[in-house]
Amino acid sequence: MTDQRQRPPRRGQGELEAQILSVLRAAEGPATAGWVQERLDGDLAYTTVITILTRLLNKGAVTRERVGRSFAWTSASDEAGLAAHRMRRVLDAESDREAVLASFVTSLEPDDERLLRELLGRAESEGED
Amino acid sequence: MGVFVFLPLVLPLTAWPVARLAEQRLYPRAATRLLAGLAVVMAVCSTVCLGLLMVVGTAQLPGNPLPDAWSDPEVRAAVPYDEIAGKVAIPALIAVLLACGRTLWRHGRVRRRAHRALVGLPATEVAVLPDDTPYAYALPGGRRGRVVVTTALLSCLEPAERRALFAHERAHLAARHHRFLLAVQLAARANPFLRPLRTALSFTAERWADEEAARVVGSRRAVARAIGKAALVSRGTPAVTLAGFAAPGPVPRRVAALLGPAPVMRSWPSVFTSVGLAAWGAAAGTAVSALSSANSAVTMVLILHAATPW
Repeated sequence: MTDQRQRPPRRGQGELEAQILSVLRAAEGPATAGWVQERLDGDLAYTTVITILTRLLNKGAVTRERVGRSFAWTSASDEAGLAAHRMRRVLDAESDREAVLASFVTSLEPDDERLLRELLGRAESEGED
Repeated sequence: MGVFVFLPLVLPLTAWPVARLAEQRLYPRAATRLLAGLAVVMAVCSTVCLGLLMVVGTAQLPGNPLPDAWSDPEVRAAVPYDEIAGKVAIPALIAVLLACGRTLWRHGRVRRRAHRALVGLPATEVAVLPDDTPYAYALPGGRRGRVVVTTALLSCLEPAERRALFAHERAHLAARHHRFLLAVQLAARANPFLRPLRTALSFTAERWADEEAARVVGSRRAVARAIGKAALVSRGTPAVTLAGFAAPGPVPRRVAALLGPAPVMRSWPSVFTSVGLAAWGAAAGTAVSALSSANSAVTMVLILHAATPW
């Protein structure tokens, strides 16, 4: 509830995650949340930074280790890896996404695999066009 | 109006034969447009019909906000079986509106969330995501439509096949296939008899993009190989159906179509072929459906106008 209030108006979560990840990636070695907060060009609250970092941790985009009384954070993937993770979450959550996102291929029926291999085999044997 | 007022509710059945045949016999682009057009007209007519029945139905309810004069016997006499039909039409219309609203909302949500997931990546047309799951799709909307593809899928394709994949997805975006898909999906919500059109249209839209990709890449075989490989590498658990009884799914049919000769653009087929008969049947059904909806709507408005004191 509290981070609802502290989040700056209308900046998407994805955008914040990407920003914080890119700051971490620019760091030479592990960095603290305070260090990240200083380098962000917004006035993000310290707790917000922690919240976003924890979210990134759950997505496997960052790792952390305990240093004294706080954590030091290291980036574990790049922006593309983070986007891939988020996209998987979207796809897994939407059961009827097929209607919106025209997928390149749809799932195969039981007999389709055999049929498909036959077709492709025939295409190979007939040579290149 | 007589029983003609009920016609638009059942005439979508005339579209079934054409839904089956159009995907096999018609040129994919023509088939997609035909199916979408049929679905939209029939869905609108069916909803208008429900709306008219609802007016009669609500007029019977005490305390309804409609003018009292609308529940005159004269008005009710216009609709056969008004007692039952009117009462059934109210929940039916509410269900249709809710289902359509939900479909629109979900459509918007998937698109928004998918675009949001890509935040932080360079704003290129193709977004390549490092992921072990092979998938690719066209993501419409946003500042620009984007093609989303994973490294797992790209790694199993050869250069020509990758070009085919990108051309296929770009064809979806350029021809705005998501609008056709959304339209036919809404139509299927408005009248469940229109569901086969939705399945048929999602197939013809893929075929359209396949043919467009084949034209761009200059090789039907490369597109066929790309589809085949992508399907084999991304096969998950097969759908739960009785093996041996299942008809070939859309993917083998697409590959087979690409390995065969290119489809020719034909004009409206002759009545004496099966596809011609089906197409003309659907066209006639659509026309009758539209006419009887229009007729019923006009009659209803006239009757209500006459019954209203002001």
